[in-house]
Amino acid sequence: MAVFFEFVTQFADIFSNPYMLLLSVVGTALGIVFGCLPGISSTMALAILLPISFSLAPSEAIIFLMAVFSASVFGGSISAVLINIPGTPGAIVTQLDGYPMARSGRAGEALFYALGASTIGGVIGLIALILIAPIVAGAAMQFRSPEFAMATVFGLTLLAYSTPGATFLGILSGCIGLICGMVGFDSLTDVPRFDFGSSALQNGINLVPVTIGLFGIAEIIRNLNVTSESGKTVTRHIGRIIPPWAEIRRLWKAVLRGSGIGIAVGAIPAAGSAIAVAVSYAQEQRLSPRGKDFGKGVPDGVVAPEASNNAAVGGALVPMMTLGIPGDTMTAVLMGALLIHGLRPGPQLFVEHADFVASVYVGLFVAILLTAAMGFLLMKQFIRLMQAPRHILVVAIILLCVIGSFAIRNNVADVGVMIAFSVVGYVMYRLEIPVAPLAFGLILGPILEENLRRSLIVSDGSWMVFVERPIALAMLLLSLAAVLYPVFGALRPKWAKADVGK
Amino acid sequence: MRIPSVFSALGFGLALGTGAFMAPAAAQDFPSEPITLVVNWPAGGGMDRAGRLVAEYAKKHVDVPIAVINVDGAGGATGVRHVADAEPDGYTVGILGASIISSQYVNQNANAIDDIDYLAFFGPDPAALEVRSDLGVSSVEEFVAKLKEAPGSIKNGNDAPGGVSHIAAALLEAKTGVKLSKIPYQGYAPTVAAVVSGEVNAATLPVHQLIDQHKAGDVKILGVMSTERHFMAPDVPTFEELGIDLVAGDWRALYVPKGVPEERKALLEKMLVDTTNDPEFQAAAQKMGFVITPMGAAETTEFVRKSDAELYPILEEAGLVKVRKK
Repeated sequence: MAVFFEFVTQFADIFSNPYMLLLSVVGTALGIVFGCLPGISSTMALAILLPISFSLAPSEAIIFLMAVFSASVFGGSISAVLINIPGTPGAIVTQLDGYPMARSGRAGEALFYALGASTIGGVIGLIALILIAPIVAGAAMQFRSPEFAMATVFGLTLLAYSTPGATFLGILSGCIGLICGMVGFDSLTDVPRFDFGSSALQNGINLVPVTIGLFGIAEIIRNLNVTSESGKTVTRHIGRIIPPWAEIRRLWKAVLRGSGIGIAVGAIPAAGSAIAVAVSYAQEQRLSPRGKDFGKGVPDGVVAPEASNNAAVGGALVPMMTLGIPGDTMTAVLMGALLIHGLRPGPQLFVEHADFVASVYVGLFVAILLTAAMGFLLMKQFIRLMQAPRHILVVAIILLCVIGSFAIRNNVADVGVMIAFSVVGYVMYRLEIPVAPLAFGLILGPILEENLRRSLIVSDGSWMVFVERPIALAMLLLSLAAVLYPVFGALRPKWAKADVGK
Repeated sequence: MRIPSVFSALGFGLALGTGAFMAPAAAQDFPSEPITLVVNWPAGGGMDRAGRLVAEYAKKHVDVPIAVINVDGAGGATGVRHVADAEPDGYTVGILGASIISSQYVNQNANAIDDIDYLAFFGPDPAALEVRSDLGVSSVEEFVAKLKEAPGSIKNGNDAPGGVSHIAAALLEAKTGVKLSKIPYQGYAPTVAAVVSGEVNAATLPVHQLIDQHKAGDVKILGVMSTERHFMAPDVPTFEELGIDLVAGDWRALYVPKGVPEERKALLEKMLVDTTNDPEFQAAAQKMGFVITPMGAAETTEFVRKSDAELYPILEEAGLVKVRKK
């Protein structure tokens, strides 16, 4: 209750203090712009702007950084929807349906859905952070290596569902991703492998240049090809911005599911938003009545991951605030900012600096509100940018792709990876092999490998560790169910037919 | 007063993109362009925080902006290579840690310690031995006794082989004649999570990583692997006090590529040493858990060579010398 009271007073303070308000507005604007630029992840946006907070008072610093954090998560989806390039790793699946929507002249709607879902997801994440932080933190601590390994297995089985009608090609694509995930330094023994002696490959194949190449450049090559025949252009029509109410209302389940997954994955230390969105997209595809049309521009495929990556913000703050363990790299930067001000997140913070805990909550809330407001106001402007003459736009996008893949680690080798994967992406498109599973494989593979092997080290080589631990066992059974479900479907053709008949 | 500082820092952020491409300037007006500080680990980690802290406080001692960039990959070796191969004009400076010593012996493509010139020392980040309270061990003596009775019965969370906390664990084994089960994690944060969740029951992390859990009573720091007690845990003895000659942990130093003109190196050295001696900088660093021990170029070089010589036999024994065998 005391926290709630503090929350309201501080909230009023911000809106009555022009300096604080200015800080949050500047933070939000910078967050949206940095998030929107491919190659600048939310983590980097925070790290770049961190020194600004050194000279601010702690409560000002946290409000500024929260604004950057929350806004950059939404910013990442703008470029995903409009140019098919994720601005941040958390937006890698938003484009799968967001971009097809934009292509068919519904860019306004797609961004509206992304913004709406981001806002609601963010608020749900914040509520979770305030109300159930201690419970979630306790549960997240049950997640050790065996649980991580089995959760990834579950994620991989969902891959099979991600490409209806082309299951084998989807699995093939996923396997290419898994193999790419093995290149570089072995995470457990620190020995370089699959590097062919070159220092470029020793860096491993980073997710960001891969997605920029696969989705961004490959898309441009594809477009050039299309227009030479039909004269069709990139994203020309804005379309209406606010979709009909009936459409919006239909999506609440997807938003709730996405938010739930976002909070849960975000709260697990070291899981991160890229995993949260991958899981929630795959899950939504299975559960949504329009699952079959995913990838063709279904709003469900936009709102679920968007709710998820924003809810993950609140989720990731849970272990940081309650246990002093950052949930992902973004919260690690935030923690660094707090440490500079002598505030050490963790159980003691609630006792010694309860007013500051409220500042964190208020900062996040203000950031969500401002992101929603500014996002809505700027939406048309962003789309208008896309209506620039095509020859300028294409060159600008390619430039962004190159800079983005370089900037993520300041490494020229990553630009090479990006170019290589743009060719791979185009070839796969021509061969009609789905590309999204490749990105999923690349995310999930290293996590599975590291945790599976570590579980076995901890258990002295006994595979029983995956059956003896309840959460791991549950994940394993879920994976089995996911694999066997279609088999049962085939065994009961009548039932299946009846289902289709409806 | 405050608002301009926001915008100056913005310019600092924007300098990030351009800093790396600046052309060298004439020697007499050095530095006249932004300096790039290369951190060889990703944004958000301890090395990154240290680098950004130095960049922020060095501003007082130099008129040009200092842009921090993260060049990570290959276990820290990519960032060092980035600096070692940079134009030796003094506009590219790097910060690195103890990982340079082990990576030169596992990775043919990594730079050796003598491939670069050291400018200044940031400080040590001593490792410590932490155990979960439910392990029922309250001193190093009991810890050793328990392991002697049942070798490998304690699971220790540490880096992958060659990493700082892994070497600390290996040294602990060598100096006390025990055998741990060493469980590898990627970085400190996952190791802390493993200790807190109980996947491992001990760790060889730097003191500040688990200080809160120590104060709360969930974790007990048994000993610090340093010559002096740590300011954050003054109640914890050093291993030396306990009669075990064990000093291990990370450290951080600033460096430039070989071939930077002497007068520029001297200027950069002075700028960095002035920064690390600045009481305001030291206060800020202390709040983040960093120990600061300012040293100049000569002392830093000597320090790096000495730790290399000390670590070589341990790395060799652990099978971590694959290239550059001595």
